[in-house]
Amino acid sequence: MKYAYFPGCSIHASAKEYAMAANAVNKFLGIELVEIPNWNCCGAIDAVYAYNPLLSISLSTRNLALAENMKMDVVTLCSACFFTLSRANNMLRENADMKSRVDKAINDAGLKYAGGVRIRHYIDVLANDVGFDKIHQNVKVPLKGLKVAPYYGCLIVRPTGIQRFDDPEHPTSMDRMIETLGAEAVDYPDKTRCCGASLVMTDEEVMMEMTKALLLTAKNAQADCIVTPCPMCHFNLDAKQKDIESHFNIDIRLPVLYITQLIGLAFGLPPKELGLHRNIVSLDKSLAVKNIWHTN
Amino acid sequence: MSNHRSHQITADMTDPSFIEEIKKMPGGDKILDCIQCGVCAGSCHARFAMDYSPMQIMKMAHLGLKQDVLSSSTIWICASCYTCASRCPRGLNIPAIMSGFKNMAIRNNVPAAIALKPKFHKAFTEIVGKYGRMHEPELQIKLLNKTSPRELIRNASLGLRMFRQGKLKLQPSRLDPSTKFSEIIKNASEEEAKK
Repeated sequence: MKYAYFPGCSIHASAKEYAMAANAVNKFLGIELVEIPNWNCCGAIDAVYAYNPLLSISLSTRNLALAENMKMDVVTLCSACFFTLSRANNMLRENADMKSRVDKAINDAGLKYAGGVRIRHYIDVLANDVGFDKIHQNVKVPLKGLKVAPYYGCLIVRPTGIQRFDDPEHPTSMDRMIETLGAEAVDYPDKTRCCGASLVMTDEEVMMEMTKALLLTAKNAQADCIVTPCPMCHFNLDAKQKDIESHFNIDIRLPVLYITQLIGLAFGLPPKELGLHRNIVSLDKSLAVKNIWHTN
Repeated sequence: MSNHRSHQITADMTDPSFIEEIKKMPGGDKILDCIQCGVCAGSCHARFAMDYSPMQIMKMAHLGLKQDVLSSSTIWICASCYTCASRCPRGLNIPAIMSGFKNMAIRNNVPAAIALKPKFHKAFTEIVGKYGRMHEPELQIKLLNKTSPRELIRNASLGLRMFRQGKLKLQPSRLDPSTKFSEIIKNASEEEAKK
């Protein structure tokens, strides 16, 4: 299974370990990701759009034009990139005025986009192209006794115009993944509640309030850790957890893993290869996680 | 939460062309389909930080209260989580409308209820225009509130945490200049300015 891979900016910086672990497990699952050469920032939800909508859609479209030449589905690990690229694809289909302006903009760089690219999230590829059976066959260290809270976030399940692969209100693909790895998927009410990622740089206190809410419900549901498929969510839940604890004077201490890291642990891969040393909330904070990652 | 309107709406507050402007924005064509059911208001995860609920913003848009909509905190607090849109019984793409309002507010130089927001969008766009990709440390520095020691300490300690775990990229990535990426920036900037 070969895909045109759109990493996105976070994957090269704050979310390196997400991609490290993806590369490690892809070998076992027969997934080959071919990086789109000279890809650029997708436009990041509203970050560019609010300032210049034409530029935002042109940025996404440039990537899609490059991918179209590769004649494969585009796959991204990042939920925000997944949404932003999908939004452009959709807008080009529905808005003739935007399409003609974008065509002109990318034409200046010698590019053309016919509109034929399908954009997929990595979780969709795992659940539907690889399948749970194949994942199960590769489990060497079943994660017995580990209680995992699946955090889906917003952008892989809800927006209009995305390649839909799960229920927008009650998604189950990661729950099934967790169970396939031998762990227990914790049922809690906030698995698709927004963490406020778009607000992190401008409205930090609002974002902390939003993230706190879901960290606490996961903790109250007795989770040993949270897993997420999104670098934006991971940043809020993991890197900002300490700030949230001190701002609200609460105790959370919940490790947050990327879904690819959890899969890698169950495949018996060495923690170093999965980038587990890069997570900010130490995995030792949860005894159950500690036991698993030190036996690998 | 200061600009709740308690007085009556008079004709001079309304702009009849506002609704037509909205209809032309991507996602804005269904604005009049809103039935004020309140599902968006009840679903919104960020409602607690907004001055008006999304439902109120839709009604204000119907009434042509352009200034009130564009100076609300709601349009900036909307985090595009799409909970409202996926539940709206009339199929309104509310986050897309909010995105359009953000752009309208910036284009019309409306003072933003959250002062940092226009600065954030401008800085982000400029950095992407320069390198082709985001370079977070540069954005962080541009937006740093130098007057708040508490915030400075919080940011410094976060930066250190990120650096120690190898999550901070000190040098920006750049695209191959032969790709003519800058032509796209040039064209889209000039074309958008004409609008």
